[in-house]
Order: sequence, then structure tokens, then C-alpha cells
Amino acid sequence: MERSWWWKAALYGVVTVLAGLYLVPTLVPEEKQPGFIKRHFTKRIQLGLDLQGGLHLVYEVNVDKAVSDKVDRLATDVEDKLRRDKGVNDVVVSREGRDFIVLTFKNAADNAKLDESILKDYRKSLDVAERDAAKGVVRLSIDPDQVAEVQDYALRQGIETIRNRVDKLGVAEPTIIKKGTDIIVELPGLKPSDFERIKTIIGRTAQLEFKIVDDGSQYMLKAAQEASKPEWKAQGIEVLPDSWTEKDTGKQHEDVYLKAKSRDVLEKFFGGLTGDLAVPPDHEIGFEELSTRGEDGAATPDRPWRTHYMHKRAALTGEYLSNADQNWDQQTGRPEVAFELDHQGAAISERMTGENIGRKMAIVLDDKVNSAPVIEGRIGARGRITLGGFGDPFALQQEAKDLVAVLRSGALPAPLRKTFETQVGPTMGRDSVDKAKTSMYIGAALVILFMLIYYRLSGLIAIVAMVLNMLFMLAILAGFEASLTLPGIAGLVLTIGMAVDANIIIYERIREELRMGKSVRTAVDAGFARAFWTVFDAHVTNFVAGVVLYSYGSGPIRGFAVTLLVGIITNLFTSYWLSHWMFDAVVGRRGAARNTLSI
Amino acid sequence: MSEHHGHKFFEIIKPGSNYEFIGRSRTWIGLSIVLTLITVGALIFNVMSKSRGHVLNWGVDFRGGSEIIIEFSKAVEVGEVRKVLSDAGYHDAEVVKYADPTGQKQWNYMVRVGAVSVLSEQQSKQVRESLAKEGDASLKRFEWSEGGDKIYLRYDKPVDPTALANSLKAIGVNTTQVQAFGRPGDHGYEVTLVGLDSEIRRALDTRLGAGAVAAIPRVESVGAKAGKQLQYDATRSLVFAILLIMVYIAFRFDLRYGPGTVVALLHDAVLTIGAFAVTYKEFSLTTVAAILTIIGFSMNDTIVVFDRIRENAAKLRDRRFDRIVNQSINETLSRTIWTSATVFFVTLAMNIFGVGVIRDFAFAMNVGVIVGTYSSIFIASPVLIWLNDKYVASQRKSQGRTGRRRAATDEEPVET
Repeated sequence: MERSWWWKAALYGVVTVLAGLYLVPTLVPEEKQPGFIKRHFTKRIQLGLDLQGGLHLVYEVNVDKAVSDKVDRLATDVEDKLRRDKGVNDVVVSREGRDFIVLTFKNAADNAKLDESILKDYRKSLDVAERDAAKGVVRLSIDPDQVAEVQDYALRQGIETIRNRVDKLGVAEPTIIKKGTDIIVELPGLKPSDFERIKTIIGRTAQLEFKIVDDGSQYMLKAAQEASKPEWKAQGIEVLPDSWTEKDTGKQHEDVYLKAKSRDVLEKFFGGLTGDLAVPPDHEIGFEELSTRGEDGAATPDRPWRTHYMHKRAALTGEYLSNADQNWDQQTGRPEVAFELDHQGAAISERMTGENIGRKMAIVLDDKVNSAPVIEGRIGARGRITLGGFGDPFALQQEAKDLVAVLRSGALPAPLRKTFETQVGPTMGRDSVDKAKTSMYIGAALVILFMLIYYRLSGLIAIVAMVLNMLFMLAILAGFEASLTLPGIAGLVLTIGMAVDANIIIYERIREELRMGKSVRTAVDAGFARAFWTVFDAHVTNFVAGVVLYSYGSGPIRGFAVTLLVGIITNLFTSYWLSHWMFDAVVGRRGAARNTLSI
Repeated sequence: MSEHHGHKFFEIIKPGSNYEFIGRSRTWIGLSIVLTLITVGALIFNVMSKSRGHVLNWGVDFRGGSEIIIEFSKAVEVGEVRKVLSDAGYHDAEVVKYADPTGQKQWNYMVRVGAVSVLSEQQSKQVRESLAKEGDASLKRFEWSEGGDKIYLRYDKPVDPTALANSLKAIGVNTTQVQAFGRPGDHGYEVTLVGLDSEIRRALDTRLGAGAVAAIPRVESVGAKAGKQLQYDATRSLVFAILLIMVYIAFRFDLRYGPGTVVALLHDAVLTIGAFAVTYKEFSLTTVAAILTIIGFSMNDTIVVFDRIRENAAKLRDRRFDRIVNQSINETLSRTIWTSATVFFVTLAMNIFGVGVIRDFAFAMNVGVIVGTYSSIFIASPVLIWLNDKYVASQRKSQGRTGRRRAATDEEPVET
């Protein structure tokens, strides 16, 4: 053998062994895997949703409703202002389409009262589209930038909400992808009896609420006593004191709260309390996920949960918020969150915060307390939230930004609308896999038989190449952690059929060369050389079709496209170069080559 | 076995075969035209026909609606299922027997309804009317869009969500959740309706006895808008794939070779669709995937032939172009047939032993492989000859360089 042949042998050997190793996690049960595999090769091929059962949902965020609601709110606000600040009572405010507000003044001259002093507050959100002074009609339209912003928030909120809810469900490997204004959710391996419940949880519209924390209550002391019992301690519930000082009066606030590694434990604890210990009907327990810091101040991956005992009635909801931004505290230079409330919201907030100075206000989004800052003073139209803790400023800034996102999105709940749904029971998938496997074996057997009869020894080479092609293909799919869907299996089977195509093209060419009387060695080399571009072109066109398929398809079809694309690439390698290398071994060294070829 | 220079080959198509393909191309093209006409005819027939009603038997993914597979625990006839569904208000329900992959469960049906939510347009009006007054509060706004699984209500006074759920239940609308929505002062409520599959299951269980429905192994529902979008995407992807392949061919060969491949690809796509029109098998996303695969695969054969034509054209400059093409087809015939045959073997195995999606896919592939092989010989090549004669040969003639009809080759730049 020539030296280059040995180099290739080494290369192909390494690639094959590597591919084999990549497949171990997929094929061998975890307990039987050797240690080094567990450490270095953890990626595996997943079964797609159609094979292991589960839910595939596509939600459309109803961005138009979010915009429409926003315009609604602006309309009420403007009407309110006209009434209160300018004393205009006879004005009819109506909506036109999604974007327009039409104000019809009974006394036409009153239209002038809708002047800069009012409109300046809406500079960012409303434009005057038309003013007919004679008729007393003013048409306002929502600013296009504002529309885009609202839609963007709505979409982001939609994804964020879904993600939070799915996380809470504890599904093994959820996928959440954004595609245009659609959100694709895939939840594999669920029980069919859970489908309805889970769909309800995911599809609900998120709401932002502000609730006053009832600190220093007798109830929490009782509950804490109960939680101190060994059985709960064993489950990791800790009872901790909480205290802070009112800024202006110096009054001390004392409270207790519970903390545990997971929300479930806390929920179970409160859920099991009855009689005197049950949570009073006008109160509820809020749960907050905490971030923890190690001694060096760096964040640790632990995310324990704590409780807040708060009034059930929401003091204020997100819809009253008109804006939120991240700022810097001018005195301390620390990041803070500034927010603005609309007209109505300011009035409610003023009363509510005034009554509760020194207490905490929990910001609750989707049943989760996001943070609970202390109310330091009366908050009107504008408020600030200073972030506590002494972490590194960048981490704090990130926290502030997250809070801004929560506040902004909470201001506009955008309903989710389900547009596409597939739910598959687990048995359906198992049967399908078995059937698909049978068809794969039979298909492969047919191809193998044909190649052996028609091309004999060379056919064997093609078969080895085909098997190696499967091996590489599966290894790459495992490397991508791709999920194998039913169409994906179809792609695999199809690859078996197409894998030998390149070999057939090459072999027929070699036969032609042999018929012309060329020596075996020359014929093989010429056959491979002449067939290369034909084989290459054929692969490229298949590849093009695969790429189109991938970019347009969704869900299972994508699985098919992925297997097809990977198969085309590995196939070019195995059926051309690898086969050529095997032929070199069979034909032998230049000069000492054999005289006949079994092809 | 035949012997050449001491080598033994197992051959089915003997080398040196000289079948006449090009000379008879009129006949073959005629056949393709007839098949295309049959396709068009079948499409039209499908629309007119009462029992069919659509151009193609669109899968739920394109048509919009819900497809539910129901497994009964006892013997239930198709008619009974249809009757129960019709009585429950699903007048457009299609019920067909569904072959269970294991063959063990006998009473499996596939139900297809146009609706995706439990509320129809008409029912929504009824709901609106009956919700107009809730206690002493009156309805100010009612928002529901066709196919939506949610209703948004706004009252002038606060309403108890539980009471709302109860009054909906009283008129036969089941909900999974009713919650306050929006600002407290707005008195808005969000009603989430129960899933269509649960509703159908309930209807069947009530009429056929509790526990009649053993399981619902699969549900697929697609909103009408999403269905439209998918149809559009599918068409666009087919056009894209064909265009991209044409560009590649034009780049690798030359411009004359492009149109022939495209006509062949279109031919393959059309006739595969035709097979679906005639058999009225479900045409779904998977079918489109299969057609795209066929397009990619059919190119295999065309490229094998075209490559040889280009090679021979350079070698045999004195021959008539159509003879070169005919010879090239003969030389590559074995290749064309066997590459297609291996793919046909496996797809046939998938068709016979596979299940569900795999089977649909395999059927399309079976048709496509046959049509694709045929088209690369009988469609792509004649178009190439025609283009060559029309542009290249006539151009030469006008330049006064003729004497014989000659083939253009790679070395000679061709301006078309």
C-alpha cells in the first residue's frame, strides 16, 4: 500500500471510532456506560415529540389587541384630563379602527382646549391626525413608533411568560422558539391527562399586580412555628427573620418568612395547613425566587424561594403603568428603576402608598413575586424603586433591567392565541417507531441484496460505505442533540436508498472504462475521477432542496430536513472518498495491481 | 453475466444498447401531456364532486380545523359516530376508520372537523345574547374571533367569574377558566373555553355510554389563518427550490441546460400532485416535504444524463446534437434505472410496512421516483434539444458557420 493510503486509514479509523463514541450515550443504557463516556460524551439523539408523545403548540401573540388596549387606555386618559383640567364635559370620545381616537366636542370651540398643555404628556404616544375646528372634531392617532414598541413588548412578554410557566411545569426538555409573531412550544413526554390543564396554564394571559405585604402579622408567627417542626425542617424549610427601618420616622418593622430550595415545598406546606393555621381568605402567600451570592459576592447557581404574606386584593395592576426605565440614583450612583403611572393610576397609587408607608409592596407577575421593595414615601405619577443588596453594580443593573422588563410588559397584557396544536399520546409514538424500524430493515435488506448480486465484491464496499454513512449520520445527529421525528426516520430510510446511488454511478463508470480495455487500476481511478462532478452535482441539488425544506418547515418536517442534510454531507464523504480508499485496498498498489475486479 | 476484456459483469441493461428515445419523444411528451391533463381534470373533478369537495384532500395543516383520532373501547359504527357529532353541532364532521398501527385495536376512527374551538360563529352570537345581562351588570363589550379559544368580556359593573362560568355552562358552553382581566375599574373578564377534543369526547361519552372513548391518541388542530400561511409557505418553498436548482444548473452547465431541468421538475411535482388528486389521499405538509425531496432527487438522474451529454458533445462534435443526446441516454441508462430502483425499493418498503406520516411520505416518493426517472429521459432531454436547435444552431446558421448541425460545447461561449 502507498503511504497516503495508510494516512487515510488512520484518519478514517479515528473518525469512525469517534463516531462510535458519540453514539454510545444514545445506544447504551446509562448504567452500563463506562465512566469516561459519561464524562466526555453526554449528547444524545432525542426522540421527537411525535415519537415519545407530548404537546406541540404554536401561539400567536395577539399584538393587535395589545395596541388596541393601549389606545383604549390613552382615550380614557385624555378624556379624564379634559374633564378635570379644562372642565370640558361635553365631549364624546370614540375609537376608530385600531389606531384612532375621535373626540367630538359638543361645543365646537372647545376643541381648542385640547392644546399643547394636554398633548405634551402624550408627545411620545399620540399624534394629532386631523383637527376640524368648525365641527369640533379631533382625530388622534397612536404614534407608529409607539405601535412598534407595544407590539415588541407584547411579544417579548409572551415569550417570557410562556417560558416561566413552562419552567414551573417541570417538563423534562421543553423547547420554546420564537418565529415571527408566533411562539412555538414543544413539550415532550407528557401524560395525555395533563394536556388540557397544561394548555390552560400556558394560554392564560399574564397580569402584573402590586400587592401590599402584611408584615408583623400574628398569622405568620403561627405558621412559622408550624414550619419549625422537624418534619418540615427535614424538607429544607427554614424560618428566617426579616427587618427594616422606615426611612423618615425610624420605625422598626419586624417580620418572619419561610425559605426553601424549591417553591413546591413551600406550596405544599401552606396547602396542607387547615383550620386556624390556614391562610386567611383575604390574604395570600406570594413566592419570590431569590438569587444567592457566595462569600466573594459572585452569584451562585442556587435559586431558593421565599414567602411574602400579602393582602389578596391587588392594590394596583400593571395596566395603570405608563412607562418604566432603568436609571441611576443621583446620590449613591446605584442602579434604580423609575416608573410612571397614568392619570388614574397616580390617584390610586397616591392613596394606597400613603396609607402603607414603611410596608413592602410586592410586584407580582404571573403568580410569582418579582421583588418586594419597601414603600418609603407617597408615590404619585412617578416612582422609583431602589434595589437592595450589595452585589457588584453590573449584576444589580441587570436586575434593574429585568425589573423594567417586567413592569413594562406587565403594563400591557397581550393575550395569546393558539393557532396550531398537535398532541400525541405515548403509545401512538411507540407503535410508529417499531413499524418504522421494520420498514428500515426491509429497505436496507433489499438494497444490500441488490448491491451484492449486481456488483458482488464492489457491492460489499458500497454496503460498508452505507453502514458507515449511517454511523456518521447518527453520530452527527447525536452531536447536535437533534430530535428524531417520524419524518426524520423517513429521512434516514431514504438515505439508505440514496447512499448507494453515488456508488452505482461510479461503478457503472468503472465498468465502462473496463469495457474499453483499461487496466483495473486505471479504470478505477478514471471511474472515480470522471464520476466526481456528477456525484457532487447530484448531492448539491439534493442539498438545495433540503435547505429550502429546513427553512420553511416546522416541527417534524424540520427533523426530516435535518436528517436529509446531514445524510447528504456524510454520504458524499463515505460513498466517494471512503469507497475510493477501500477500492485502493482491493485493487492494490500501482504496478502490482490485480487484473480482474469483481464489480 | 457477460464478459468484457476478461471482466465479468452482471448486467441487466446491456452496454451498447441503442434504444430510440429521442425519435419517439413526441409520443412520450404526448403521454406526459395526457397525464398532466388527467391531473387537471382530477383537480377539477374533485372540486365539483360532492363526495370530495376540495381540489386536493388537504390535510388539517393546510385546511385549518382539527383532526382527532379516537379509540373506542367497544364496537361503534362509523354512522353512530357521525350522528353523535352532527347532533353536537359538528355538521361538517368527516369520520373515517383509522388503521391502528398494531392492528390490535379495532374501533379507531379519525374525526376531522373544520372547527378549532368549541364555539362556532353562530353560537358566539347566542353566547353574546345570553351574557348581555349578568346579575345587574350589563355587557359593554364582547370580543371573540373565529377559532379563538378565548372570549373577552367587559361589563359596566363587577361580575363574579364563577357566576359567569355557571351561566356559560347553563347554555352548554364549558370553560376551563374565567378570570378577571385588565384594570379593576374596567370590569373585564377573560374566558378560556374548554378544548375541542374534550368537548367531542364528552359528547361521545354521553351518547354512547360513559367510557366509550378509551383514549384520544392524537389531536392536531390548525387555526384557519395558520393553515393559509402554511399553504403559502409550501407554494413558496416549491418555487424557491426549483429556482435555486435552476440557478445551480445554469451555473454548473450552461444556460441551455436550465430550462430542461426546470420543466422536468415541474412535471414531477405536477404529476405527483396528480397522483394525490386521483387517489384523493391526504395532501399534507409531509407530502410537500416529499415533493421537495423528489425535486432534489429527480435532479440526480437528470444530472447523470446531462453530464454525459456535455461530455459526449465535446467529444463528438460532428454528430447531430439529438443523436448525441440519444446515445448519452443509452450510455447512462443503467445508472438512471438502478439509482432510482434502490430508492424505490426502500420507499416501497416504507409504503408497505410503515405507518401514518411515513406511509404518506413513501407513497409520494414512490410516485415521484417513477415520474422523476421518466422525466429526466423523456422530458428534460427533448427540451434541451429543442432549446439547442432553436437558439444555438440557428445562431450559428445566421453567422454563416453552418454546414452541419453542430452541438455547442463548453469551450464555445453561448449567448442565449
